[in-house]
Amino acid sequence: MKKTQTKAFANLVGSIVFGTLGLWALVQTYSFQEAGGATTYVQPAVFPRIMSIGLLIFSAALLIQSVWKLLRMKPEDDMAQPAESINFVKDKGVLAGLAVIALCILFVVGFEPLGYVLTAALVSAAIMLLIGKRNALQIILVSVLVPLVMWLLFYKLLAVNIPMGVLQFLRDLVDKI
Amino acid sequence: MNWQLLAESYAAVFTNPQVLLMTLLGAAGGVLLGAIPGMTATMGVALLIPFSFGMDLVPSLGLLLGIYCGGMYGGSISAILIHAPGTPSAAATLLDGYPMCQKGEAGRALSVAMFSSFCGGVIGALVMTFLSPIIANMAMKFGPGEMFMLVVFGLSVIIAISGKSIAKGMISAFFGLLLCTVGLDPTNGIPRYITYKQTDLLEGFEFIPLLIGLFAVAEIIAGVERMINGKEKQERSTEKIKNVLPDWHTILKIWPNILSGGLIGTFIGAIPGAGGDIAVFVSYGFSKSVSKHPEQYGTGIPQGVAATESANNGCSGGAMIPLLSLGVPGDAVTAIILGAFIMKGIQPGPMMYISELPTVYKVFAALMLANLAMLVVGCCGVRFFAKIVSVEKKMLYPIILVVSILGAFSINKSVFDVGVCVAFGVIGWLMNKYEFPLSPILLALILGPMCEQNFVRYMNIQHGNFFAIVKSPIAMVFAGVALLVIVYSIYNQHKINKREAAARAAGNAE
Repeated sequence: MKKTQTKAFANLVGSIVFGTLGLWALVQTYSFQEAGGATTYVQPAVFPRIMSIGLLIFSAALLIQSVWKLLRMKPEDDMAQPAESINFVKDKGVLAGLAVIALCILFVVGFEPLGYVLTAALVSAAIMLLIGKRNALQIILVSVLVPLVMWLLFYKLLAVNIPMGVLQFLRDLVDKI
Repeated sequence: MNWQLLAESYAAVFTNPQVLLMTLLGAAGGVLLGAIPGMTATMGVALLIPFSFGMDLVPSLGLLLGIYCGGMYGGSISAILIHAPGTPSAAATLLDGYPMCQKGEAGRALSVAMFSSFCGGVIGALVMTFLSPIIANMAMKFGPGEMFMLVVFGLSVIIAISGKSIAKGMISAFFGLLLCTVGLDPTNGIPRYITYKQTDLLEGFEFIPLLIGLFAVAEIIAGVERMINGKEKQERSTEKIKNVLPDWHTILKIWPNILSGGLIGTFIGAIPGAGGDIAVFVSYGFSKSVSKHPEQYGTGIPQGVAATESANNGCSGGAMIPLLSLGVPGDAVTAIILGAFIMKGIQPGPMMYISELPTVYKVFAALMLANLAMLVVGCCGVRFFAKIVSVEKKMLYPIILVVSILGAFSINKSVFDVGVCVAFGVIGWLMNKYEFPLSPILLALILGPMCEQNFVRYMNIQHGNFFAIVKSPIAMVFAGVALLVIVYSIYNQHKINKREAAARAAGNAE
């Protein structure tokens, strides 16, 4: 197996990602405005700076560990085992996961203009179809009833005003009842 | 202690049908609200307080305390069943509760959570009844320095919950702590990592949407992936729930965790500003540290569930201690309950024990009744809740998503929070994939703001001299215990890794 497919290599990538984030966060703290006043002993940048340095230190530790493992790896090591894939071309599961993420983004985008109930119904029906649910009646019942009941519960019992978008008439109807 | 008056007060509360009904209704509402991710006991109490205006003090307290105790337990239901803690206080319950559910022991996990919640609540109520003035005085000695060290003690648990790699656990924790610093600086109001124009982030990331994203949404994405790859089969729950309470064998196993959790929860709950969210992690870390088999924690054992659930319900009694003894609420719910007292013309505080002793005793009895009501509601619901895992996963995942997204929205009625929830769902999915533990982020998100605020307050009071903290015996005790926990957790993890490596080598040799 290629070393680039091992857990050790995945850790190496992870350490670089978090290290970069830590570095960026640290650099940003130097642009924070300073607080005035004689009684200010801890500037707003202090706490984030400590945290970003902490993130950098442990990312560096993971980086060193990973490089060490990659250089002296034995086949029975846990770190020599294959890491999970995010290759959506080869792995249908990853592709499906990405499709769920895309549907979740659609949920966010459609939340206000289309309303919660309609967006939730469309997204949940799409997920059910994606994972192989084929019973049309069950798909319709679950995707319509669950968002509707949740909306009613939140709106009437918990007084949470949820966007209804194109189904605004439902709220007017419930208000009249 | 006036024993006769105490007995009379208990009798008056336990035989009053209105109090019984209100407490039961409150507990049922609390369990339901707590089980919905995004809805907390605080919201439940705030929502229902107008209904208590027309009632006498004791029935209204029964209603509010019922919601409080029910909500604490309710949070564990969604943590165990769908990997999304209903309330922040149930955040640590998912560490062992969800793996138990995955092993087909959802009913057992729920009954352990319920029984431990009840016992923790009773421990809290008993401590409140007999030791409230003493504990209140002790809790009042907690200044910012002591609070800071308490939080550091809480954070020391990170290593214990980091899993195989301490470096990865610490990366997760610092990532979480860094997330807490986004928004306006809590002391001076200076923007950090944002501009004043980014109004949605002025107060930083909201905790609940982040929590729902990291755990529930990430689990849905991973679940769909597993399903498509054929790694997740629909498992009809074969678990038969004969008794809604745990069997004797389980009770014998978990009672030390319940006792320690209940006491830790009561003590932490009594400190104003500290609550169930910190108590559960301290209790879990303590329980894991003293266990002979720490490697089993996180794999789905009842001891882990018992340690956290007894701690969060122990907090309910603990939080009432400073309220009654000093007139200082221990947390947000008791702050609302303080309002209920004032509306009835009663001012909690030291004088209450002299001028309103019968009322004080009735409050003790009402809290005990609220815990009993929670047990009754829990017993009735365990079988029903456990059935949720039997719902076909192809339908369960979209249902969880729809409920979770609504929970994320309902906190601030903000679509931005829904976006945050989805974004952290993706981050959680990726972190899980590459074995970066998520629990340290959770702990950091809970304790980070408390840590910074108390550190800044302490430094400002001490004119920048941090080392003045050595003069505080309480702070030094916490610092010492934190150090011990860190050293012991590192040693424990090293031992676990060595044992696993040996087992793997033996497996390969065969």
